[in-house]
Amino acid sequence: MPELLEARNLSKSYATPKGGPLAILNGVSLSLASGASVSIIGPSGTGKSTLLYILGALEPPTSGEVILDGRNPFTLSDAEVSAFRNREVGFVFQDHCLLPQCTVLENVLIPTMVGKDNGDVRQRARQLLDQVGLSHRLDHRPSELSGGEKQRVSIARAMIRAPKLLLCDEPTGNLDRHTATQVADLLLEMNRASKTILVVVTHSAELAGRFPKVFELVEGQLEAR
Amino acid sequence: MSLVRRSLLYYWRTNLAVVLGVATAVAVLSGALLVGDSVRASLRDLVLSRLGKTQAVVSSAQFFREQLADEVPGAAPLIVMQGVVTHEKGGLRASKVAVYGVDERFFQFNNYSQRPPSGSEGLLTPALARELGAKSGDSILLRVEKPSAIPRESLQGRKEDSGRTLRLTATGNAPEFALQASQGDVSAIYVPLRRLQLDLVQTSRVNTLLLSSPAFPKDKVTLDDLGIKIRALPNGLSVETASAVMSDALVATVEQAAGAGAQPIFSYLANSIRIGDREVPYSIVAAIGTDLMPDGISLDEWAATDLHAKPGDTVTLDYYYWEPSGSLATRTAKFKLAKILPMTGIAVDRDLTPEYPGITEAQTIGDWDPPFPVDLKKVRPRDEEYWKKYKAAPKAFVSLETGQKLWGSRFGKVTSMRVEGSDAAAFSQKLRALIDPQTIGMAIVEPRAQALKQASGSTDFGEYFTYFSFFLVVSALLLTGLFFQLGIGQRLREIGTLRAVGFPAAKIRRLFVAEGFVLSIAGVLAGSIGAIAYAAFLLYGLRTWWRGAVGTGLLTLHLSADSLMGGGIAGVLIALACVLATLRSLKGSSPRVLLAGNRAVEENPKRGTRWLRIVAALAIISALALVGAAFTHSIPDAGAFFGAGTLLLIGAIFFEWARLRGQIGTVTSVVKLGVRNASYRPGRSVLVIALISSAVFLVVALDAFRRAPVAASDPRSGTGGFPFAAESELPIFWDLNTPAGRDNLNLGAIKDARFYAFRLRPGEDASCLNLYEPRTPRILGASRAFTALRRFSFVPYSIETFGDPSWESIDTDPQEGAIPAIADANSITYVLHHKVGDVFDAGGVKVKLVAALDDSIFQSELIVSERNFTRAFPDEQGFRYFLIEGPPSIAASLDDALSDYGFDVISTPERLAAYHRVENTYLSTFQALGGLGLLLGTLGLGAVLLRNVMERRKELALLRAVGYRPDHLRTMVIAENVYLLIAGTLIGAVSAMVAILPAFLQRGGHLPNPSLALLLLAVPVAGIAASLIAVKLVARAPLLETLRAE
Repeated sequence: MPELLEARNLSKSYATPKGGPLAILNGVSLSLASGASVSIIGPSGTGKSTLLYILGALEPPTSGEVILDGRNPFTLSDAEVSAFRNREVGFVFQDHCLLPQCTVLENVLIPTMVGKDNGDVRQRARQLLDQVGLSHRLDHRPSELSGGEKQRVSIARAMIRAPKLLLCDEPTGNLDRHTATQVADLLLEMNRASKTILVVVTHSAELAGRFPKVFELVEGQLEAR
Repeated sequence: MSLVRRSLLYYWRTNLAVVLGVATAVAVLSGALLVGDSVRASLRDLVLSRLGKTQAVVSSAQFFREQLADEVPGAAPLIVMQGVVTHEKGGLRASKVAVYGVDERFFQFNNYSQRPPSGSEGLLTPALARELGAKSGDSILLRVEKPSAIPRESLQGRKEDSGRTLRLTATGNAPEFALQASQGDVSAIYVPLRRLQLDLVQTSRVNTLLLSSPAFPKDKVTLDDLGIKIRALPNGLSVETASAVMSDALVATVEQAAGAGAQPIFSYLANSIRIGDREVPYSIVAAIGTDLMPDGISLDEWAATDLHAKPGDTVTLDYYYWEPSGSLATRTAKFKLAKILPMTGIAVDRDLTPEYPGITEAQTIGDWDPPFPVDLKKVRPRDEEYWKKYKAAPKAFVSLETGQKLWGSRFGKVTSMRVEGSDAAAFSQKLRALIDPQTIGMAIVEPRAQALKQASGSTDFGEYFTYFSFFLVVSALLLTGLFFQLGIGQRLREIGTLRAVGFPAAKIRRLFVAEGFVLSIAGVLAGSIGAIAYAAFLLYGLRTWWRGAVGTGLLTLHLSADSLMGGGIAGVLIALACVLATLRSLKGSSPRVLLAGNRAVEENPKRGTRWLRIVAALAIISALALVGAAFTHSIPDAGAFFGAGTLLLIGAIFFEWARLRGQIGTVTSVVKLGVRNASYRPGRSVLVIALISSAVFLVVALDAFRRAPVAASDPRSGTGGFPFAAESELPIFWDLNTPAGRDNLNLGAIKDARFYAFRLRPGEDASCLNLYEPRTPRILGASRAFTALRRFSFVPYSIETFGDPSWESIDTDPQEGAIPAIADANSITYVLHHKVGDVFDAGGVKVKLVAALDDSIFQSELIVSERNFTRAFPDEQGFRYFLIEGPPSIAASLDDALSDYGFDVISTPERLAAYHRVENTYLSTFQALGGLGLLLGTLGLGAVLLRNVMERRKELALLRAVGYRPDHLRTMVIAENVYLLIAGTLIGAVSAMVAILPAFLQRGGHLPNPSLALLLLAVPVAGIAASLIAVKLVARAPLLETLRAE
């Protein structure tokens, strides 16, 4: 199977007020085929989220390149990168980041309001919410949902455009153990069903252990576990 | 305190914004108060400077000795009159010009550097020179009323030739002297005193003294100064007056001085004394206290012989009587002949008749020059013989009571008094000691004290501008609150940390209150400087753009510590209230939430929407009910629609609030998502909508009060259906509706005109054209012919308390000494500061307001009945105000024909428009400042958006993560902004249009003025500009950082 996601020799460093640059990533490479699911673990401050954001074209690397389905997003214009993210990448954050003024269904539809070829997105949103077990909560506001439910909405939102890459930054960080397990089950199920590449960054060894491949970020290098 | 200081410095940008917000509010509040102080102080300075060194003024309708000025230390004599000045060549005419007959004493008294006028010079004030287009050396004509000691409205008074014209050479640079408070330019002419005295036939006499001290030694006033003379006769003393008639007060004083020996006499001229077909023409009849039968008459032997009379015969007297309406009538009275008196004693006493110029000094009857028609053909040689021998000795006698009943007038019922004794000097002294000059027509006033009261009671511009600036203040405070909240929002984590490390909530609140206090003080200090600038700006506006409201360019800035302190204290208190309200909003947020940089969000925003909808529905139903009531004429249209508009505004705001707490539409696009964002903080959004809609409502609805031109033909309108009004500088005594009256005034060519004449007590303008509080307002005396027309409209509010307002309500006798009066509602409320039912002193006379006219041409005066007028002001003679019905051409004809009287005809719609201009200028001022507030409020909207956006950075970051471009975010923010703007503007404008519907239809469907449209356009432009700033700041914010879990 050809590799769908290629991260080649990624480095990221930040300028510091005193002294030279602070290197976070140092020559990270990663190749993942369609339908792959991996977790990345590591202590705080090692650059897990930074790597995730680079993979999701939210932040450019200092050097190296990311190729998703044959395209390097960092060579695109700002508008094209936005469209690329909208089409190809789904995000799930620790803080679900739902819009409190919108209903559950509307939150899921948020990404469809920009970009083209939306198709029957409302039908798809309903299906996704059904898949995540929230078909009875379509018109509820986020403030009326539990933490786990909110995160399930954010998973549905991430999947609405059927992305090739689903990136999750500590998706269970704010949840209790039982709910965390449910959310992890859901993510893996989505991954299996849609052949989306799933990359999860987490502190949780328990969550990481549920993925076929586990990487650890140590001193800016990605090491397989 | 160290923490407070460090926080203030660290967050200096936000703090600066808070300081600016407080400063703006303080500047506007204190500035408005400073405007009030400045207007009052300017008016005070103006009137005091125009009074020169004058501390007291002694004036009299009766001219008195100029020499009195030499007997009173620090006094300057002058003649003060009012006149009409015409530029001889250019023809331009100025009326109501103050005329001063002065010499060097007047200039020395006031320390004026100018040279007194001499020869035939007329010194013009700049304003008068401008009005006439006159320059030095030009020939000008001054027309003034010639004083007449004898009342012109008595039989012996001269009705024609009542004025005098002086040809003068104009010179400039006259001092701006004025005895009456007025903010307008001084229109005055100074004439050499000697010249004026000569022309007025008042040699060495004046009518005014200026005093440099308030104390006036009344004992220096002689009987001659009061127009009283005492003649020694062979058979006693005769007390007479220059007016040939004695007031009741003087009669009582003479009786007091003379004791039982005083004998009142009333002499009158009979056109004929008849018995059957025999008659004696032109004879004096004397009414004295005799033992005649009440209906009896006595003839002297000469007349009895001539008439072949014997006791018991019926004697008929024909005599002229001057009717108060302005015509000469011939009346008849019949008597039984009681006695025939021998030609001795009173029968030959020519001193029973006072001096009548043109009659008593004539050598023959043929030489008479009386002010009434005499048919000399009736005069026989024997009549001339009688005259030669006995002059004006009476030929007939009736009882005093009968004479007074037949010939008495408001000027008096006694022509002279006989007093026993022979020492005229001793009696004069005794009589003078009993007379208070102020009860015999001499007035002593302290104009400075009066002027200070008038200036302090003037139109309160401080109050007006506080109202006018209301939206500016509210907007500034909204901004203050928002910026403070923004500052707090930036520091939620800090608050959370302080709470986490053990700071009690109260302690944290105190820290922020301390910061708020420091910021408020800084804002007050900056605002006080701004207040001075704002006040200077408003005063500049009053001197220029809004001059129509104040009528003067002389208002200057006067700083007042009280106003600055007042505005400052209010600013600090309001700013602290904002701070406390903001801190209160954090109450529900736990340290954990705060540490995450958040604050508690209402769990169920839909809660309470039912109540909001109920309130909205009730308000809208009430609005519809009011409109329904207006259609059934249960309540006045204007009030009903204004009330309906207000209720609609309230209903719409509550409905929108409920909507925002619920869900607005379905989110299917970026624009719709932006609109939905308005419901993120419903309270905040509704605050913005309420502010914008209220401001738009007020600014638009105020236009309903803008006065439209009034048709002259509508009798119920403010013109009363009279196309013209006229004012005459010199009084007119003839009834202009009678052929005789028109002939006497050379108005034979005037056809198709009907006149309604009013008497006038000159005084201060009671309309909005006068900024000073009128203490002696103009008063008109309205005839029954006018009141019976029932023209004009009354303000109906007084029905319950005072009965149905009508013109008849002034036709009643004074109650408890108060004369019933009608005035315009605007003048009553805003200028006189009274209400219907009030009793007050209108300058020497007590009046009671019984009804209020609705927006009429009578805004400058009070109106009383003619009967009450002549009783209260017996010395005000003739008619000087007219309402005229006639064709348009009549104005020019009357102006021309009556130019000698200074007759000025103006169109009533124009007169009304002059008042409306003032009101409309006030409205424009309000609208301009309301508009400024609206714009500032729109900037507040920008601040709301910015704050919302900053609070929602995480959401925006998420949107960026899922593929939203910066322009999508921009579209979203602008959509939210436009929604709030449109909602606010629409709610305000639609409600306002309902409110002004009657006015809109009345003015023929014209929209309010175009500047309003511009203003309403400026609001969205400013709002969008503000949101673009918010968007720019968003674009610069590192959004993605907020997404990181690490």
